[in-house]
Amino acid sequence: SSSDSGSEDSSLSDSELQEAFSRGALKPGLNVVLDERPKRHNDVSGLKQCLSDFKQQLAWVERLDVTLGQVVDPVSQSASNKDAVDPENDFQREMSFYRQAQAAVLEALPRLRKLQIPTRRPDDYFAEMAKSDQQMQKIRKKLKSKQEAMERSERAKQLRAMRKYGKKVQNEILQKRQKEKKNMLNAVKKYQKGLSDKLDFLDEEQTSSQGNKKGSVNQRIKKGPNAKRRYKNQKFGFGGKKKGSKWNTKESFNDVSSFRAKIAHNKGPRKGGKKALNKRPGKRARQKMKSRGR
Amino acid sequence: GKWKNKERVLIFSSRGINFRTRHLMQDLRTLMPHSKADTKMDRKDQLAVINEVCEMKNCNKCIFFEAKKKQDLYMWLSNIPQGPSAKFLVQNVHTLAELKMTGNCLRGSRPLLSFDPIFDKEPHYALLKELFIQVFSTPQYHPKSQPFVDHVFTFTVTDERIWFRNYQIIEEDASLVEIGPRFVLNLIKIFQGSFGGPTLYENPHYQSPNMHRRLLRLSVAAKLREKQQVKEVQKIKKTGSKVLIGEDPTEVVFKTPAEEKPVEIQLVKPEVKPIVKDKKKLRKIQRKKQKKLFRTEA
Repeated sequence: SSSDSGSEDSSLSDSELQEAFSRGALKPGLNVVLDERPKRHNDVSGLKQCLSDFKQQLAWVERLDVTLGQVVDPVSQSASNKDAVDPENDFQREMSFYRQAQAAVLEALPRLRKLQIPTRRPDDYFAEMAKSDQQMQKIRKKLKSKQEAMERSERAKQLRAMRKYGKKVQNEILQKRQKEKKNMLNAVKKYQKGLSDKLDFLDEEQTSSQGNKKGSVNQRIKKGPNAKRRYKNQKFGFGGKKKGSKWNTKESFNDVSSFRAKIAHNKGPRKGGKKALNKRPGKRARQKMKSRGR
Repeated sequence: GKWKNKERVLIFSSRGINFRTRHLMQDLRTLMPHSKADTKMDRKDQLAVINEVCEMKNCNKCIFFEAKKKQDLYMWLSNIPQGPSAKFLVQNVHTLAELKMTGNCLRGSRPLLSFDPIFDKEPHYALLKELFIQVFSTPQYHPKSQPFVDHVFTFTVTDERIWFRNYQIIEEDASLVEIGPRFVLNLIKIFQGSFGGPTLYENPHYQSPNMHRRLLRLSVAAKLREKQQVKEVQKIKKTGSKVLIGEDPTEVVFKTPAEEKPVEIQLVKPEVKPIVKDKKKLRKIQRKKQKKLFRTEA
């Protein structure tokens, strides 16, 4: 009604408008003319009429048309999901077209065979093709080059993988050898230090795990150091310079066994005449000397 | 056998087409032995002239390619002389010469036509289907045709458009390879007459390429305008007037200034306090040790 009143606006005068408003035909507010959206032509009856006029009554063999949905694949999505084919998904879309063509072919070929229309070209039938031989050569070359490129990349990948694996194996072997060497040396040192009086390490048949178990049991019976000490012994071994092991432990600090008092106080026998016995006094002695000198 | 179904299709174009369209036209002429070629039509002639051109060439169907702005390609499919005709916008054109299309077929062999079931559901699609059948199917026993059926044209309706594909049939178990060409048709209008007449159907989903480009430009412009507006609003906020809060009379209640002390002036130097060492106080190192112990105990 607002559009009607809007169209009446231009033709009616003020007094008439007032009357109409009092009657209640006008709504308050701005009345604008709404132009209707141009209707889209969809002349269904016209279309049907045209179709019936236009349709040719030809035998199927002249037209060879098949209207069929896709091949229903039990593995992939069923044909009822065809509406879910996402037109943006190129692969899915092309596969739907392919399947539609397949369905048509499967339906049409038996019919054609019944009508005795040949579908297979005999091998001795040579005729002009839609694409020239030159074009087909080009296509073949491109396909071959693509395949070769793929193969090359595959081979390179395999080579790389093999090299990596080989390197890993080599590393493992080297490490194993070093471990064996270390174990052997440790066993020898243990024997030297008198901790174990068995010469079993000469036999190579002893497995490492077995050896550890026996060794640990023996040690516990003999000495009884705790597990931490045993582990450290096993890892760092006996003797030799220990890389990164602690320098000033409590024991090493309290250990004054290497202190030779006579030599420290410059009273021991001079061995071979140590040249220029420059025994520097200690810190306190030096400070005292300094303060005394002042 | 005798060639009874006398269908002839005239395939030609207007001026201003690019190489892809030209190749597409040539490909269609190759694939359809019942087609005829013609020279380019001048732009200044009306579309109704096409009817006469076709009559002169004794053709009863026509495929006319029209290129506008060197960008958009339109295709007319028409039945001469009394219609109907349809106008499409052609997109995504790939020709026979593309190396990804590896199939091949006999030149002039008859195609199998495969349609989507949607073509039977709507009246405008049914009309289009009939038009496609009559235009694209090669008549039997046509002198230029080969008697074998070794390729199939597919027409599918997806995303409100008609997709055309051409596959070669390799094996009897329906293994297919694409030959090409391929294109997408976007229906604009169906007319009752040939290249004119009352409009029977107008596609509501069709958006003209001009409109499409315009919308893109507008969206970009709108984004820019929005950014500018946001900037302006921020500017106003920054330089906006500061709000003055009125004085609260009850605030004075909480102010408690300290008592005033009388000013003392010292005239005599204060006594030096003797430094008394606290023997019980531990030296620094011991103090630290004690602290450590205390901490570890706690």
